[in-house]
Amino acid sequence: MKRGFAYVVTLVLMALSATALAASVGEPAPNFTAIDSNGKAHTLAAFHGKFVVLEWHNQGCPYTQKHYNSGNMERLQKEWTQKGVVWLTVISSAPGTQGYVTAEQENDYLRRMNAAPTAALLDPNGDLGHLYSAKTTPHMFIVNPDGVLIYAGAIDDKPTSDPADITSSRNYVSLALNEAMSGKPVSTPTSRPYGCSVKYAH
Amino acid sequence: MLCLGLAPSAIADERRVSIPHGTVELLSEQESIQPGRAILLGLHFLLEKDWHIYWINPGDSGEPPRLEWHLPAGLRAGAIEWPAPSRLPIPPLMDYGYAGEVLLPVPIEKTAGLAVGTETVLSADLKAIVCREVCIPAKAQLSLSLPVRAERPRESAATVAMFRAARKALPKPEPANWRPSAKDLGGSFEFAVNTGHSAPDAWFAPLEPLEIEDAAPQESVSTVAGVRLILKKSDQLLKPVSRLRGVLVLPSQGAYLIDAPVAPAPAKRPNKEQ
Repeated sequence: MKRGFAYVVTLVLMALSATALAASVGEPAPNFTAIDSNGKAHTLAAFHGKFVVLEWHNQGCPYTQKHYNSGNMERLQKEWTQKGVVWLTVISSAPGTQGYVTAEQENDYLRRMNAAPTAALLDPNGDLGHLYSAKTTPHMFIVNPDGVLIYAGAIDDKPTSDPADITSSRNYVSLALNEAMSGKPVSTPTSRPYGCSVKYAH
Repeated sequence: MLCLGLAPSAIADERRVSIPHGTVELLSEQESIQPGRAILLGLHFLLEKDWHIYWINPGDSGEPPRLEWHLPAGLRAGAIEWPAPSRLPIPPLMDYGYAGEVLLPVPIEKTAGLAVGTETVLSADLKAIVCREVCIPAKAQLSLSLPVRAERPRESAATVAMFRAARKALPKPEPANWRPSAKDLGGSFEFAVNTGHSAPDAWFAPLEPLEIEDAAPQESVSTVAGVRLILKKSDQLLKPVSRLRGVLVLPSQGAYLIDAPVAPAPAKRPNKEQ
């Protein structure tokens, strides 16, 4: 009960700070606490010292399916988590909308797709989505070890739903992580995110 | 939504291809093709209520339709000419596109090397995304056959009204005396156009993504001199913008293509000079 109350307070604070603190590249990434599909709470600040990728997700969206059914997203998750990156998949679909899943449904999906995020955060109220102004699925954000947002935008430079376009695309997430890890400035810090609209509650 | 003046059944023919929640077809404004003379084709979408496709800048989500042409040697297609879009709010987001019915004109600019007396087949592969609350990818193979004739082509009676409406729906070039301008205010742009009329319900859609927050209310200061809008900058706009290009929609007058130079934000002076 006490923990439930703390969780509610956190969500309320998160919702309040959303209006004051936009997630802007070059600025500290807004802190949050959210619950994953195994019931575990994750706080961004606790990942200080690590790169964190946020991936907005909706398993029914054709743009998400482009990257999952082709194995592209799962490959990226494995590659980068093996290099010590924290990869958080975020599901902000409201109950009754496309992409909304229960914890159990999400765990089934992760197993079935052989997906490998560090955690899948369930955000049915859209608090985390609003905090980061997540617009599309996918919409990708990268936070550096100092807690600064260093990338916000598309997963790559081919804004289509066609998996055939993946091989010829330039992956902005890998580009930014590679550059940042070798101490270089991120050459493409923002891009237009492409995909389905995040299915927030209206 | 455009009303092109014809009931769907009146233009039904075998060229119409089914896509999710609608149909699409390639139409021609002319009934024949004359070697050396450009013609105007159109990509005609008919979608179920509330289903939509997207403008060249789709806004916060979605993707514009794309065509890959397969034309006989000597022919070349131009770019899609985009009618003024509608705003498609999906709070907290904003998209730009076309719901229901739309005809997107596409010129065939080069028509060399065709033999008079033959039929020429113009084909294109379409990729689009059709959305309402959810989105469904649409692919279609479109084609149109036209006779090649030596004389100047006549307008096709079946499509002339639709093309007339489609031309009217295109944004007009900006009148020379409108002198659009924009001022960088730091977090927003002050965008002003001397239209000579007050237009309190005017709104602006940029051709480029990531310049403004598409869903932010556009505060309108309407004066007798024209239109002034406060456009909130995109949170992800990191570099200064030197020009704002886009479509200004004046609901009672039509839509105009505007290219406004942006005056940079005044540099902050060192304290001692203040």
